[in-house]
Amino acid sequence: MTEGVTIRQIEQELGRLRHAAAAPGSAPNLRTSVMTHLAWVPERWVDAATDTLAGMGERHPSRTILLLPRPDDPRDALDGEVDLRCFVRTGEQGQVCSEVISLGLCGPRAKAPGSVAMPLLIPDLPVFLRWRGEPWFGDPALDQLTEIADRLVLDSDEWGECDATMTQLPELFDRIAISDIAWAKVQPWREACAELWPEIGEADSLRVAGPRGETLLLWGWLRARLRRELELEHEPAGEVELVAIDGEDVPAPRAKRTSSSDLLSDQLEIFVRDRIYEEAVSALATVSA
Amino acid sequence: MSISEKVEAPNPLEEGLRRRRSPEPCALTIFGASGDLTQRKLFPALYALAVRDLLPPKFGVVGVARTEMTDEAFREKMKQAIQDHARDEFRQDVWDEFAESIRYVATDFADQGGEEHVVQCLNELDEKFGTASNRIYYLAVPPSAIETIVVEMGKRRATDGWTRVIVEKPFGYDLETAKHLNEVVHRHFAEEEIFRIDHYLGKETVQNMLVLRFANGIFEPIWNRQFIDHVQITVAESLGIEGRADYYESAGAVRDIVQNHLLQLVALTAMEPPIDFTAESVRNEKVKVLKALHTPGPKHVVRGQYGPGYIEGEEVAGYREEPDVAPDSMTETYVAAKLYVDNWRWADTPFYIRTGKRLPRRETTIAIQFKRAPHPPFELDSDDALRPNVLLVHIQPDEGVSLAVGAKVPGQGMSIRTVHMDFLYGGSFRTGLPEAYERLILDCMLGDATLFTRSDEVEEQWALVDSMVAPWKRDRPNFPNYAAGTWGPVAADELIHRDGRSWRRH
Repeated sequence: MTEGVTIRQIEQELGRLRHAAAAPGSAPNLRTSVMTHLAWVPERWVDAATDTLAGMGERHPSRTILLLPRPDDPRDALDGEVDLRCFVRTGEQGQVCSEVISLGLCGPRAKAPGSVAMPLLIPDLPVFLRWRGEPWFGDPALDQLTEIADRLVLDSDEWGECDATMTQLPELFDRIAISDIAWAKVQPWREACAELWPEIGEADSLRVAGPRGETLLLWGWLRARLRRELELEHEPAGEVELVAIDGEDVPAPRAKRTSSSDLLSDQLEIFVRDRIYEEAVSALATVSA
Repeated sequence: MSISEKVEAPNPLEEGLRRRRSPEPCALTIFGASGDLTQRKLFPALYALAVRDLLPPKFGVVGVARTEMTDEAFREKMKQAIQDHARDEFRQDVWDEFAESIRYVATDFADQGGEEHVVQCLNELDEKFGTASNRIYYLAVPPSAIETIVVEMGKRRATDGWTRVIVEKPFGYDLETAKHLNEVVHRHFAEEEIFRIDHYLGKETVQNMLVLRFANGIFEPIWNRQFIDHVQITVAESLGIEGRADYYESAGAVRDIVQNHLLQLVALTAMEPPIDFTAESVRNEKVKVLKALHTPGPKHVVRGQYGPGYIEGEEVAGYREEPDVAPDSMTETYVAAKLYVDNWRWADTPFYIRTGKRLPRRETTIAIQFKRAPHPPFELDSDDALRPNVLLVHIQPDEGVSLAVGAKVPGQGMSIRTVHMDFLYGGSFRTGLPEAYERLILDCMLGDATLFTRSDEVEEQWALVDSMVAPWKRDRPNFPNYAAGTWGPVAADELIHRDGRSWRRH
């Protein structure tokens, strides 16, 4: 990553790479975008974010802007790197290229990511913000980025303090539409539970073996939909292995392996507010209150 | 609250689930299971649905054909077909699960017991896999065999569950036979149970035509005679008849492509906006276009037949030299026509259509050519410098849409050249496009007939084709009249040149 760059230099480098990527005399590469994908990636999430990105560029050609906050860096500077991810079009000359811009926000720059990202957004296309880890409630970074994005994509399974974060999350609902990858992961279990209606209409207890985020979402969802209090018993596990309602196991849905890239890609196709998710999370906030 | 009220209360857990449409349990019976279509398209499509977990959880397939074969031998043959033709990598786990419910019945419907064997096999699937007497009969058989199967299976239709019949093209040979076939089928099945397949309608880009027109505010206001000069629809194939002389000799290009694919593309291009995307609304609008098509006179229709030539550098035989083709065959392998849609939107706007075998390359496109700019204030170095705008819908290969616009050549002066703005599916949506048959088989399982052809559509199509071919009985063209590897007979160029226009450059 080059130290001390400007946005102008980033734009020039993007143009240079587009020209350079096409072989002399061959068809020019196409730059195709269906959105701008902003990713807020604190240091500990860099590897995971890179892996996810590697798998989704082809499905969602976009300009991806990786914002890497380094608030403890003594410099007041931007570090930058521009990359073109090109893939060959079947039966066609030339390639389709997506742009990946990595920006290290050093020192005070980490407090003003909105002004860094804004000049690089592709006009007229939706902006998705993938926020890695817990949202920084009250921090200007979160406020600025949710201001310029159309949708915020979170993963509550990434949160260390899941219960506390869930209770704060509703304060974002009126500001931006939210996707939660953990919510997508429990969809098959929600479908399985729905099959048990009306028998589970008066359920009293829920037992889940799985990650805390997914467990809470299932719990909140049942509380909100059934309009009932349910006792929760939780056993930590890497993925949801068991859901039982009133001591009866919910038939496990057909296992489906989905990569983190696919999970994120699915969320990038949703544009509307998910009222059912918001009610599930709000039901958790009520418990804590 | 009474018990009955409690049971009918809506399920609050279903709200917001965005469930994928999932078909009900069913058994699919393929008549003509030893044929090419089954191996190249139907089983690969079923496998693709299995890979994506889109088949019903309780599902069975019965292959029916005359060839003697065991269940195991049929499964092996279909496994090989999937390995050869499926768009996904072969996965043993998916195949094992899918193969378990595959059965084969060797029978000839001339044999009185044949249909009983099929029914017996379906009953066994109901018992073993819970397919709930829901049945789909896929008639991948020659037109001559359709009537017998429809009558026999109609007599034996299950009393529980639903029954749907998929009929492959061609649906009839002319208007009279199509009407007769509709009558026969309607004796046993309601119209909503009949799914006449035209696989072009299952293609993503054909469906995208509707999205392009009706989901974008910029196109519809100019989608009419005031702004559009003409429309060209091309269905070009570089292949010959690939050993299908028996079928092709009686069908020819007009029945093989014009009656179904080409007229469907005309209808989708010219139709008015439907009020919604239900089967009836969409098909009502298509029928209106077909009814409004003006019968082309003999001067507006050109037919041709290929002679020997070269395709991709390889010498290929002429049509009359193909195996099992009569040496004096008068079957057309090329048709071009000028059509008019006689309505307010399209009056006097020609739709030029053409299709042919052994053309230089495989290509299906709809080209909407707009009128020229009325007064370009530039000094142009040639008339050709500022060509009219063309919106080009690529249906195959390289699915997508491109728009030809004039742009200034960088540098001194004001030179203008035509450039293409491309949207290619492969570039913007990198997910593999589903094969048409995947979409259509799944739609049939779900009972959605939007992308299938209704009886009145078929009859309107045949009525037009009958009027096109009627004059052919009286004349005897000098066939062959174009060489393989060229863009068709000279008369086809003359057809469009007479109007001061030309076929699109390739």
